[in-house]
Amino acid sequence: MSRAVRLEGLAVDYGRTSRRAAVPVLDRTDLEFPAGSFTALLGPSGCGKSTLLGAVAGFVRPAAGRVAVGGTQVCGPGPDRGMVFQQYALFPWRTARGNVEFALKRFGLPRTERRRRALAALAEVGLADGVERYPAQLSGGMQQRVALARALAAEPDVLLLDEPFGALDALTRTRMQELLRRLWQRTGTTVLFVTHDIDEALALAERVVVLGGTPGRVLGDHAVPEGPADPALRARIAGHLGTG
Amino acid sequence: MHASPPSPPEGRALQGRALRRRMPAGGGRAPGRLGPAVAAAAAVLAAWQLLALSGAAAPGLLPSPAQTLAALADSAGSGTLATDLGASLARAGQGFALGAVVGGALGFATGYLPLLSAAVTPVVSFLRPIPAIALVPLATAWFGIGETAKRLLIAYAVLLAVWLYVHDGVSRVPVTHLRAARSLGAPLHRRFTEVLLPAAAPALLAALRYGASVALLALVAAELGGAQSGLAYRLQVDGQFLRVDRMFAGLIVLGLLGVAVDLVLAGIGRRFVHREAS
Repeated sequence: MSRAVRLEGLAVDYGRTSRRAAVPVLDRTDLEFPAGSFTALLGPSGCGKSTLLGAVAGFVRPAAGRVAVGGTQVCGPGPDRGMVFQQYALFPWRTARGNVEFALKRFGLPRTERRRRALAALAEVGLADGVERYPAQLSGGMQQRVALARALAAEPDVLLLDEPFGALDALTRTRMQELLRRLWQRTGTTVLFVTHDIDEALALAERVVVLGGTPGRVLGDHAVPEGPADPALRARIAGHLGTG
Repeated sequence: MHASPPSPPEGRALQGRALRRRMPAGGGRAPGRLGPAVAAAAAVLAAWQLLALSGAAAPGLLPSPAQTLAALADSAGSGTLATDLGASLARAGQGFALGAVVGGALGFATGYLPLLSAAVTPVVSFLRPIPAIALVPLATAWFGIGETAKRLLIAYAVLLAVWLYVHDGVSRVPVTHLRAARSLGAPLHRRFTEVLLPAAAPALLAALRYGASVALLALVAAELGGAQSGLAYRLQVDGQFLRVDRMFAGLIVLGLLGVAVDLVLAGIGRRFVHREAS
């Protein structure tokens, strides 16, 4: 199943501590991501795009406004919203299979069924051979394959990805992008994908939302048509990004 | 016996990698490296024997290895060694267990809850540098010279040591691990047993090993403060009679006890702690 995500006047401040006042990170933002859509949130570092994603995930408490998933207000992390982090996401003391089984435990399956599903999930991301290896024994690309399998194993309505392929080499990154597209098409999950790479955003998403400024706000919102790359669209988005 | 305690953690900027490096190196003590250790022990024994034979020390003040062994056999034969070892092990063991459980629980709580940490850490940081031996008179005044005072003193010293390491380890557990677990629908008890505990396991093991060495230190302090039996008590009695051979034997037993305890804990650690954790 997939659900729509709505941001209603969402604003986020960071780090009000005893030493300094709160710093606004994300300006009041209204956005809607329809159920089953694939949106890239594009912007430079520090534009609030990861913060936005964190607010949807429930890690970050809004200073104003709210996030609703399928009409229900988000008030903390939950398995309806799966998360793939840029790094350090896998549990290093569990094998690839153990990491996926961690996600499956919430369904209360018998052990053998849990194992069967974990192996199937890992086979789907192309990791049938490395299931008993620990994350430290896997390459960066393979680790993110496990992270994808783990996030999807919990059967989320929304899949959130925070620059998941940022640390990978170009070839691995392209393969992972293809894998993610395939998984999205099969599951129909609503996807929010954070990246600072304009070409990655265009290669993956149906829609690119450009964020920028301090505090961050929406600078542009572009539909990406199917088919061959459109240089004019890329130029327009690049213009919004302010990178020429 | 007591390797100088690893330096206390210096703030949280360092990440897990640094923690691993700072842990006592024994965690990776490789089997099959016995050769150099045996050679060094033999060299020390030989030097000791030569020094004893040379007559450099006043008569009776430096027993030979053979005399020390004889004293050891003597106390083992008469049953004093078993009595003393039993009394000391009971005290140290009970004190260690109490201190490790309370200190470990407190460490998990303050490591996980920043607000609690802000309240408790300054208090513990003030108490920690006070040597356990300095508390012997106070413990005696409050609890008398019985077993309670000794156990509580040991437990107290162990508690502070274990708290420090566990607190540090738990507070360094990457926030993404806990976030990932919540996003995967793991409730609090699963986040504790399946994320926090394994992630902090290397720190927990280091805490227990350091705590065990602290327990022996505190044991000696407690027994010197007044006892009817025990390894350190016996040392004091032997000292009054200038039985250096017996004192040597007692010190060697203390050293072997420390090594044995550490080997057991390290062995447990190899079995349960995943090396790449945190």
